[in-house]
Amino acid sequence: MLNHRAVIGALVLLFAAGIFFYPVYSGLLLIGGLIAFGALSYVWKERETKLMCLAAIVLISIFNVGIHGMKFGIDFSGGTRIPVILESPAPDSVMDEMVDTIKKRASAFGLTEVKVKAIGDTQINVEVPSGDPQLIQSVEEVLSHQGVLTGVVDGKAALKGEYVLSGTIQKLPAQYLQGADWGVSFSVTREGAEHFAETVKGKANFPVYMFLDRPTDAIVLITEDEAAANLEAGMPSDAADALEEALKLEGSDIPVHIYEDTYIETLVPATNSTEAILSQELADEVGAQLEARGFVLSIAEEGEIQPMLLFNENTGEVAVEEWKAVGLLSSPVLSPSITTGIPSYGYTISGTAPGTGQEKSINAYEAARSIESILKGGALPIQISVGSRTTIPAPLGEEFLNLSIIGLVLALVAISVLVSVRYRKFNILLPIVLISFSEMVILLSILGSFTIDLAGMAGIIAAIGVGVDAQIVITDELLKKVGSAAERLDNAFAIITTNVTVAVVAMLPLLFSGLVEVIGFAISTILGSLLGLLISRPAYAAIVEDIAKD
Amino acid sequence: MIPNIYKGEYRYLVVIPLILILISLYFIPGLQLGVDFRGGTLITLQLTSSLDGDALSEDLLSNGFDAKVQVFETGVGSKAEVEVSQTGQMAEADELKAQFNELIGEVERLEAYTYTNASYTVEYGEKKEELYGIANRMFDLAGLNTRAELEPSLNELRKDFIDSYLVVYNAQVGRIMEVVDRHATYSAYSSETVSPALSTHFLEKAFWVVAASAVLSVIFVFFFFRTLVPSLAVLLGAFSDIVIALGAMSFFGLPLTLPSFAALLMLIGFSLDTDILLTMRIIKRKGDPRENAFDSMKTGMTMSITAIVAFSVLLILSNITHIATYYEIASVALAGLVGDLFATWGLNAVLVLWYKEKTSGGK
Repeated sequence: MLNHRAVIGALVLLFAAGIFFYPVYSGLLLIGGLIAFGALSYVWKERETKLMCLAAIVLISIFNVGIHGMKFGIDFSGGTRIPVILESPAPDSVMDEMVDTIKKRASAFGLTEVKVKAIGDTQINVEVPSGDPQLIQSVEEVLSHQGVLTGVVDGKAALKGEYVLSGTIQKLPAQYLQGADWGVSFSVTREGAEHFAETVKGKANFPVYMFLDRPTDAIVLITEDEAAANLEAGMPSDAADALEEALKLEGSDIPVHIYEDTYIETLVPATNSTEAILSQELADEVGAQLEARGFVLSIAEEGEIQPMLLFNENTGEVAVEEWKAVGLLSSPVLSPSITTGIPSYGYTISGTAPGTGQEKSINAYEAARSIESILKGGALPIQISVGSRTTIPAPLGEEFLNLSIIGLVLALVAISVLVSVRYRKFNILLPIVLISFSEMVILLSILGSFTIDLAGMAGIIAAIGVGVDAQIVITDELLKKVGSAAERLDNAFAIITTNVTVAVVAMLPLLFSGLVEVIGFAISTILGSLLGLLISRPAYAAIVEDIAKD
Repeated sequence: MIPNIYKGEYRYLVVIPLILILISLYFIPGLQLGVDFRGGTLITLQLTSSLDGDALSEDLLSNGFDAKVQVFETGVGSKAEVEVSQTGQMAEADELKAQFNELIGEVERLEAYTYTNASYTVEYGEKKEELYGIANRMFDLAGLNTRAELEPSLNELRKDFIDSYLVVYNAQVGRIMEVVDRHATYSAYSSETVSPALSTHFLEKAFWVVAASAVLSVIFVFFFFRTLVPSLAVLLGAFSDIVIALGAMSFFGLPLTLPSFAALLMLIGFSLDTDILLTMRIIKRKGDPRENAFDSMKTGMTMSITAIVAFSVLLILSNITHIATYYEIASVALAGLVGDLFATWGLNAVLVLWYKEKTSGGK
């Protein structure tokens, strides 16, 4: 007995600690707790243990709400829903990628609570917990933003996004790869082809620096460590030149300054909107100084400010392969055959992929995918457009939430009245009310760790109404004067187990349907059923077992 | 005390559920699909003054919108819901978008071929003509003055085309709101447009979910009972319940939407609950089956009534807040739960009792 208590106590502490340190997983931890304590209350037959298991899960549920609060959908919290319409239907894998990318784009505003959900295969809903029109507008702009592609060869813009015929961009099938691991082919317009041929004439083996949204008016300030971060042998002497070289472009060069060799006092911004691109670390040191000199700071993440430097075997020099801080995403090398000055309309970008076997083919796929999206002028594989938004004012949402909570409590009260009329016994009524209340707390806590939307709230109310059913089955069986108490309980649980299984099974397909509007309803009814079967029914039976003896 | 309805000639009890089922079957063909499954636009207005719903819906109709206007007094002020059916425009825009997407890639490829091989010129011209036709039709729909022929490149055309689709998509709401503005004053409004493609997608998913749910339920019920007649009786009970719920929805004009669809699925589970309770007690228990049937009815009725109470609260809540999701779930669940009372205790109980008495040699 003492043992059991110790185990339950230890588990409570364990789950509470988990919830405390990993807020992101608190909902899953609670479900885990539900299953763990449920298993214990099945294995251990003592009545006290079953009650303690219920108490334990209630305790960690309350703890979770106390520490992390509850999350509500924008219908309750107020906010704005922006439908994003896809140009063409997206297969599941592409849809996942789109949702991820849009999430990243939107969270660039520091809006961590942005929800991005796929609705069918042609729409994505973005939900922002804010009604601020200015903020919403900037989110909309970011969403519909199309990147500008510039391919720079030896300081001249050879390829521009508007020349690329996006319908012709496609991955090369394996038989055309000629030894490369991946390849993407595309065609350009006549004007584009002529411009390209002229620009790259005689530039065999030069890299084409492919930029998306290359800054037009900026400088880069970088430390030696940052510049050489991706090289094994430290900063080679010609690296600074390579960096400078990559950012050359007639009329809008981006000067690169190595921090160790630069006097900040000598830097002068070209205009009053010249950006200084640098890492957070460096900005902490010299940011104020730069701002004083008239620069606008543009902080790049650590991974972005560090260029990918590669040794070019053909020229024997170090060259920049990728440098996200300035939008440089890839640097394929010009094959001599297209540098003769004769226009060519079809191009291929191909390359090798690191790794072996499965890993290699995944890397190759990713590389091709990335080039495809660069050529299409954006990270999204399917073009999108932003539909008209819906705003739910925060006070209205709050009103809805308050009323819903009142409704939840009212449902509980009404059911209690009903049960007391039916049984007229305080020692039956009290446990039923207590257990239903615990179930409500647990469900709110679990669902609140994810998000409670309208359907989820309706599901919790439904779960309370249906959840009390099993307690009625137990009570009625126990009140029968046939057989021993244990037999009667077995009878009751046979019915309950069948009921719960069938109820869960009937709801399960909805859970996996992707119909996000009503998934909350499926989750709360399924969780309600499981919770009842695993924890609250055994606990209830443990409390009321005695009525059989009356 | 209620007398045991299963004493005496209980078989007559089937009359009531059978009548209900027949009435439901009569009404089901008139079941309406909501915006989710039919496509269309739903606009919700927070009113600041009174609104004549009929006048608005007439005015909308004369502007080419088939609309249903409902005005609600809620705990948080007056509210109006304008539900506009899919317009031909929106459907056409969707159709055009699909055609355009299919064709533009081909035209771009042909354009690239013509640079190096003149023999593609004719085909390219034809396809481009076709593409321009589609784009111009979309520009017309969007009420834009531009022509596809004026676009400098296919890339520009692509961009403008998708923009004009969005114009049509948003204009739907804009043009409805123009009419609404003449009739109503409001503090806020929200709109939701479900495109034909999306509603088709929802329908397909819903069908898949129902099929999976039905198959799984059947498998589990047979697994539990392992005998044909009781399993069939349980399933028949659940099936009648859904039929009655659908009939009631049609009768009361409740459209089938995603939330009401979810409520229907929950009804399958709930209805099976009471059916299983009853069947297990009659088939597997000793003692007088009729007494057992009546006992289970007492338990089952209590179960149903608690659920009815919970959903009634939700229904009242939906009347105060007028949250459509609540209303759709609560009303459908209530209809089904009431139907379940008849289907379970009139139909299912009678079948199972009859089977039990027959197999155990009668009483």
